[in-house]
Amino acid sequence: MSVLLEKLKEVLWSVIPIVVIVLVLNFTITALEPYLIYRFLLGALLIVIGLAIFLFGVDIGISKVGTLMGGTLAKSNKLWIIIGAGLLLGFFISIAEPDLHILAGQVDMVTSGVISKLSIVVVVSIGIAVMLTSGLVRIVYNIPLYKLLTVLYLLILGLSFFTSSEFLAISFDASGATTGALTVPFMLALALGVSSLKKDGKASEKDSFGLVAVTSTGAILAVMIMSILSKQDKITGSLQEAAATSTSVLAPFLHKLPIVAWEILIALAPIILVFLVFQKISFKISKKAFRKVLKGLLYTFIGLVLFLTGVNAGFMEVGTKIGYSVAALDNKLIVVGIGFLIGLVVVLAEPAVYVLTHQIEDVTSGYVRRPVVLIALSIGVAFAVALSMVRILIPGLQLWHFLLPGYVVSILMMYFVPKLFVGIAFDAGGVASGPMTATFILAFAQGAAEAIEGANVLVDGFGVIAMVAMTPIIALQTLGFIFKIKSVKEGLEEHDG
Amino acid sequence: MMDSPKTMEFELISFVVNHGVGTKVLKFAKQHGISGGTICLGRGTVNNPILKLLDLTDTRKEIVMMIGEKDAAQNALVALNEKLALHKPNHGIAFTSSVRGFVGHHHIYRNEEERRGAENPMYNAIYTVVDRGMAEDVMEAATKAGSRGGTIINARGSGIHETHTLFSMAIEPEKEIVMILAETSTTEAIVTAIRQELHIDNPGHGIIFVLDVNQTYGLRQ
Repeated sequence: MSVLLEKLKEVLWSVIPIVVIVLVLNFTITALEPYLIYRFLLGALLIVIGLAIFLFGVDIGISKVGTLMGGTLAKSNKLWIIIGAGLLLGFFISIAEPDLHILAGQVDMVTSGVISKLSIVVVVSIGIAVMLTSGLVRIVYNIPLYKLLTVLYLLILGLSFFTSSEFLAISFDASGATTGALTVPFMLALALGVSSLKKDGKASEKDSFGLVAVTSTGAILAVMIMSILSKQDKITGSLQEAAATSTSVLAPFLHKLPIVAWEILIALAPIILVFLVFQKISFKISKKAFRKVLKGLLYTFIGLVLFLTGVNAGFMEVGTKIGYSVAALDNKLIVVGIGFLIGLVVVLAEPAVYVLTHQIEDVTSGYVRRPVVLIALSIGVAFAVALSMVRILIPGLQLWHFLLPGYVVSILMMYFVPKLFVGIAFDAGGVASGPMTATFILAFAQGAAEAIEGANVLVDGFGVIAMVAMTPIIALQTLGFIFKIKSVKEGLEEHDG
Repeated sequence: MMDSPKTMEFELISFVVNHGVGTKVLKFAKQHGISGGTICLGRGTVNNPILKLLDLTDTRKEIVMMIGEKDAAQNALVALNEKLALHKPNHGIAFTSSVRGFVGHHHIYRNEEERRGAENPMYNAIYTVVDRGMAEDVMEAATKAGSRGGTIINARGSGIHETHTLFSMAIEPEKEIVMILAETSTTEAIVTAIRQELHIDNPGHGIIFVLDVNQTYGLRQ
């Protein structure tokens, strides 16, 4: 049973830090109601169990389908098959993503229905489909990732001049929303499957990353174009928060469970469908392997439902409360410090982070090790949350004051760091902004915004995910830079033959 | 014929251990006189009825390969056996093989002696360990010298020139292992070709070692 214990231990170590921090805060500066603490602990337990099951499921289910699919596409050797499959996959995966529906619902509300929920879901999905296809074609045609990303981000920069700051935040958040816990592992595996057929080991390695990065720009571009075309640049409505006043420990869990289960089932449906269809026409893997993948998909489902129920019912309210209490303190600098701490630990429990770090280890045969990547990611996200708090505290500071220099630095860095790290870093941006960030950190930021005078819960709430998606890019490229310096062989000059 | 300035004998030590232990093995071996090693990732299976039912039978393994002078290899092996407690279940396995030829780390060695009782082998397995991305060149050189194919294995590893750490964790640069099966009569030519093409004799450009192979199937003439 050592396999199970090992996984549990691994997961435990990533959830314990956040639990410890919340408990310490509870006993020092922000006393929480007992029922909230019990909910939080129950949520943490569900997260540990759920995450462990989910990761097993990803290993033998989602990743397997992704790599098989990628390999099949590359072997087909026909451009139209890759384009067709890319468009279909991208569209349906994105349209089934529950996070996108939540975001679209919010946008619908704040624009008083001018941009309807349906239109945003469809437009973003088209954006995702187009960019997923571009990402696949890039791998096949050996177009360097840094060139494609430079073009895409210049395009985003150009469009951002015509987009209002509110929609700028929404568009970057949309990219975070579409790279959810299911899509990221699938896209990572898809890229791995396509690129692993390459003959040149170095190229195969660096092309295993970057698909998530290219795909997520699709959402940014789509929302920007939409906001420009609809000439909607002011947020008019306001968000109504459903006031949950129940003090029962179990009730929110029982309430969330069926909702989450249904959402995940919908999100998983395209992947299951793709697997079944391609099993018939192309994969034709053995009965035994087929059953194993199905079991994997089942584990993915169970694991993710437990995980998300735990996060939504146990963590979200605690996040808001802590944000509110800390920001209400006299010394406003504390909220920045606490934000830093929370950012440091929350990303460790992000499901897709596991998948990414494991894939990095596998692809590089252990050269870039998990702990190193985790440290860089943690530091990156910590800065993101801390800077978001600074932004909430200082009214004049806008999101683009961070995003613009941040992305300019990210793009310039691409030209100096090892190309393997370019893909890893930009993928990590999408990976870090997963369900944990979208609930806990967002709730924390909104709580803080509520307590601070002059801060708008809505405007300041949007954009936190955008920050979390940006800073890991810089952090991991810095890591790549360090690796470059440190990997030089000692005691001998380069002999170039 | 290769010049053999030293009359040392070399052995290949291989370890199969759980994921994450490989780096420790390599570090410990380096403290016991082994100059470097290569690690590749593998997958093992578990034999447990419950896990089998759940289809959770894959475990991640690491295979560590190290070449050392015979006495040093023995020392390191004994010490590692103690350190890793290999006699306990699930702690890994280790084995050694005799090396017929070895190029790298300033050493050039070739074992010309016939071993007592052993048949004269028809084939050799030539292993070349180079930096990631160079395997194609190795294959090309080998093919020109008469090899009919080979297998590339992704790996990481470190030799005497690569001793950097990051957050106190050792950085082990990425490598590729090229395994080529060759008839004993062509081994010499293939090894020489790889040595020349990839400048193996220059320090830090990789190593080559040759093992005896007793039987092969599936090789086409």
